Amino acid sequence: MTALEAVSVYVPAVGTPIDDLAGPLGLTEMQLKLFKRFHGLSHVGRDPDTSLYGLLMKAAAGLDALRGNEHRVRYVLHARAMPVVAPYPDNPLHEVCHSLGLDHAIAFTVTHQSCASGLLAIDIAGRLLAGVDERSASSRAETDSGDSPLALILSGEKAFTREAQMFVDTTVFGEGAAACLVSASGTRDRMLSYACNVRGEFDSATGRNDARLQQEYRPSLAEVMREALDKAGVTLDDIQIVLPHNVNLVTWQRMSTLLGLPRDRVLLENISLNGHVYCADMFINYRTACDRGLLRPGGKYLAAAVGAGGGATFAAMVFEH
Amino acid sequence: MTQEAGLDSDFRQQVVDTMCAVLASLLNRTDPVTEEMRLMEELGMSSTLGLELMLELEERLQILIDVERMGQADTTTVAAMASFVAGHCQPA
Repeated sequence: MTALEAVSVYVPAVGTPIDDLAGPLGLTEMQLKLFKRFHGLSHVGRDPDTSLYGLLMKAAAGLDALRGNEHRVRYVLHARAMPVVAPYPDNPLHEVCHSLGLDHAIAFTVTHQSCASGLLAIDIAGRLLAGVDERSASSRAETDSGDSPLALILSGEKAFTREAQMFVDTTVFGEGAAACLVSASGTRDRMLSYACNVRGEFDSATGRNDARLQQEYRPSLAEVMREALDKAGVTLDDIQIVLPHNVNLVTWQRMSTLLGLPRDRVLLENISLNGHVYCADMFINYRTACDRGLLRPGGKYLAAAVGAGGGATFAAMVFEH
Repeated sequence: MTQEAGLDSDFRQQVVDTMCAVLASLLNRTDPVTEEMRLMEELGMSSTLGLELMLELEERLQILIDVERMGQADTTTVAAMASFVAGHCQPA
C-alpha cells in the first residue's frame, strides 16, 4: 500500500504582509479588505533571493531519510500548478536531481491538475512503485534487504507572474516547497484511499462556467471527501484532522459547516501564515500536524485539494498515520 | 443578535434597507432591489460579490457577521440573507 516515508518542507521564516503586496498585485481597497477579513490571509511566503531550484533544495535538505538511500529512488516527480516555470533549456528539476545524487532516477513533472497535483503525484508514485515491486517479485531479496524502491515527490514554485501570485478574489499564493519520500508498501502514513473528480468544463481560460464553479465548488469538494472516506471504509468521525488546501479561510469554514465537521478538526493555521502554497499545502499541513502532535499512531487523516485553472479537479486522500 | 428566534424586527429591516442599497450600488442597477428578489437567479450574485456585500454591511452597520455559518438556504433571496445577517452578527 502506498505510503509516505518522510516529509520535509520549507517556507520562508517570515511571511510578507499582504498589505505590502496590494500595490504590486493591483488590489483594490475592497479586494484587500476581503482577503484580510474573510479569507484570513495575513502573510504569504516570498523568498526573492531563492530560485525555484533553491526552494526545492531547501525542502530536500531536511529529508534525512533520503541520505544513503539515493540508490533506491526510482522516480522523482515535481508536482506543481504552473505548466512552465523556467526558460528552455533550464530545468530546475533535473538540476535538483543532479545535486541530490539522483541522476539515475526518472524525473518528470505532474501539473495537469493544478493545485490538486500534489495528491495526484502521491497516487502516481505509488502506482509506479507497485509496478516495480511486481516486476521484482521473483527476486524478493531486494525488498527483504530493505532496499525497496522509493519515489521522491518535490513540490513548490515561485510566484513569478501575476497569475502565479494570485487567484483573483480567492487567494494569494505563497512561495515554499516540500519534499516527500513515497514507498509502495511502507507502514508509515499509509494511503487508504484516493478520490478525484476532474471537471474539464470549468476552464478558467474561457471563464464561461466560472459562476457555476463558484456554486459547485464546495459541494463537489465535499463529494470527493465523502467518496474517499467511503473507499477507506471510515467515516468523518474517524478522522483526527483534515489537511486542507490553504486556499482561504472562509471556504474551509463553510466546508466545515457543510460537512458537519467541527472547525477544530481542520488545520487552518497555515493559511494566515503562508497563503496558498500551490501543491505543497498538504505536505506543509502534514508537518504542522506532526509537529503539534495532532496525529496519533493508527489515527486517520484526510487531505483535500482543489486545482483550478485549465479545468477544475477536486481530490481527497485518506491516510493512516 | 445571535439567534433568529430572537430577531429584532427593526434591526432586520435596517439590514434589508442597507442590503438593497448596497446591492444596487455593487450591481450598478438603476431599478430598485427588493426584499423578495432571488440573489443568484435575478441579481446574478456570485460568492465573491456576496462577500463584498457582507463587508459593506459590516462597515455601514458597524457589525461583525458570522459569515462562516451561512448556508445555501441563507443565500436564496435578499430576505433570507437579511434574516441570516440580522441573526448572526455582533456589534463591531
